[in-house]
Amino acid sequence: MNILNKIISFYYREYKLNLSGFQDILTNIIFFFVSIFIFIFSIGPDKEAISSIGIGIVWTLLLLSSTLSLRKFYQDDFENGNLLVMHLNGFSFGFIAILKTFSHFIFVQVPFLISIPVASILLSIANDKIIYLFSSFAIGSFILSCLGSISSSMNLMNQRNFLLGSVIVMIFSVPIIIFSVGIVNLEENFNSLISILFGILLIVFAINPWASGLCLKLALENN
Amino acid sequence: MKFLVNPSKFNKVADYVFLPVLILSIILFFTGLIFAFYLSPDDYQQGSTVRIMYVHVPSAWLALLTYAIMTLYSIAGLAFRIPFGFIINTAVAPIGAVFTLICILSGSLWGKPMWGTWWVWDARLTSVAILFIIYIIIIFMNLSFENRAVREKVVAIFVLVGSINLPIIKFSVDWWNTLHQPATISKLSKPSIDPSMMIPLIIMTLAFIMVGLGIAILRIKTEIISRKSNLS
Repeated sequence: MNILNKIISFYYREYKLNLSGFQDILTNIIFFFVSIFIFIFSIGPDKEAISSIGIGIVWTLLLLSSTLSLRKFYQDDFENGNLLVMHLNGFSFGFIAILKTFSHFIFVQVPFLISIPVASILLSIANDKIIYLFSSFAIGSFILSCLGSISSSMNLMNQRNFLLGSVIVMIFSVPIIIFSVGIVNLEENFNSLISILFGILLIVFAINPWASGLCLKLALENN
Repeated sequence: MKFLVNPSKFNKVADYVFLPVLILSIILFFTGLIFAFYLSPDDYQQGSTVRIMYVHVPSAWLALLTYAIMTLYSIAGLAFRIPFGFIINTAVAPIGAVFTLICILSGSLWGKPMWGTWWVWDARLTSVAILFIIYIIIIFMNLSFENRAVREKVVAIFVLVGSINLPIIKFSVDWWNTLHQPATISKLSKPSIDPSMMIPLIIMTLAFIMVGLGIAILRIKTEIISRKSNLS
């Protein structure tokens, strides 16, 4: 069985797993929308006020709800031994991290990407800004997946403090939030800001297999 | 220089060095405070509040220096498999957190009379606050892992990833237009600070370094002993 077949069967397995646990993904989306409702209830239904801070709210809630599912990133595969089986089948730990990152992006972040237009209608964001929000989140969500891979692999052996992984992701996502909200608010700087965001993506994508692979290896060695 | 990487050699050197460091830190602290409070002039704009600088600036430098030392020792621990690097990482993180906290608090006390506010979301202030949170996360990580072999390496990886913040703090006043003033003391050009203020600042910096070094020696020795007896 060559490497391509292995990758295809890996993603087929991920697809099956995520399909059976579809309500988990749906719960993430519902959390996202319920938090938007909560925000609107707390601010009041003033349309001007909501549309002026709507983009920040959308980005914050996207970040929070995508960190909710971080516990499942490696934990299930680690506990039932699938991570070891994958490694024995010829995947290096860094390569497993890359595959898992793409899988997280496809099955967790893309549903958020689809729900962004609905959310921006609810928060009365102008129609011409949706495309900027969409493109910034398309890049930013992949950065979030990479950061999530790093932090959840760090916390595999952490038995006491589960919330630490989310805090790690959120502290490293500060520059992403700055530049992504900047993209939407400063449209004339779109090209330069999206280049910076893409640069951050490349840096994080380069760090991700190294850091997560090392952490996975450590966790499996000391389990 | 082997005592920088070898625990038993470090113990020997630390035994010789600790008492002089302690005495020196007391002397330097007292002379520095006397200089800062009585022998240095008031600023022509800021008046007497400029004396906060003699606490604020050294603690900020030492917060950055501590993180830089942790980064270097993380590289040493991960790449060259020197376990002493992980000992330093565990021992030094709370010291850096305290220096960062002193820096933030004194800066906030300085900001109230000068800028009219305790806190602004300025690039320099925000990046230092992030440094403080990174220190807190490092301390929590040290507390929350049960397996030591995993813990020390994971913390080292986190320190390396978090070191991206250091150049951001250093150059934040140059890259963005901030309320915080840019660096007045730099190596490349002549400092734009008067010698009468420079001297107490240098004395206070040395005093802070000595205090930090003294606490670090105590903590590192404790960490070495606890590792030998396999306590944590």
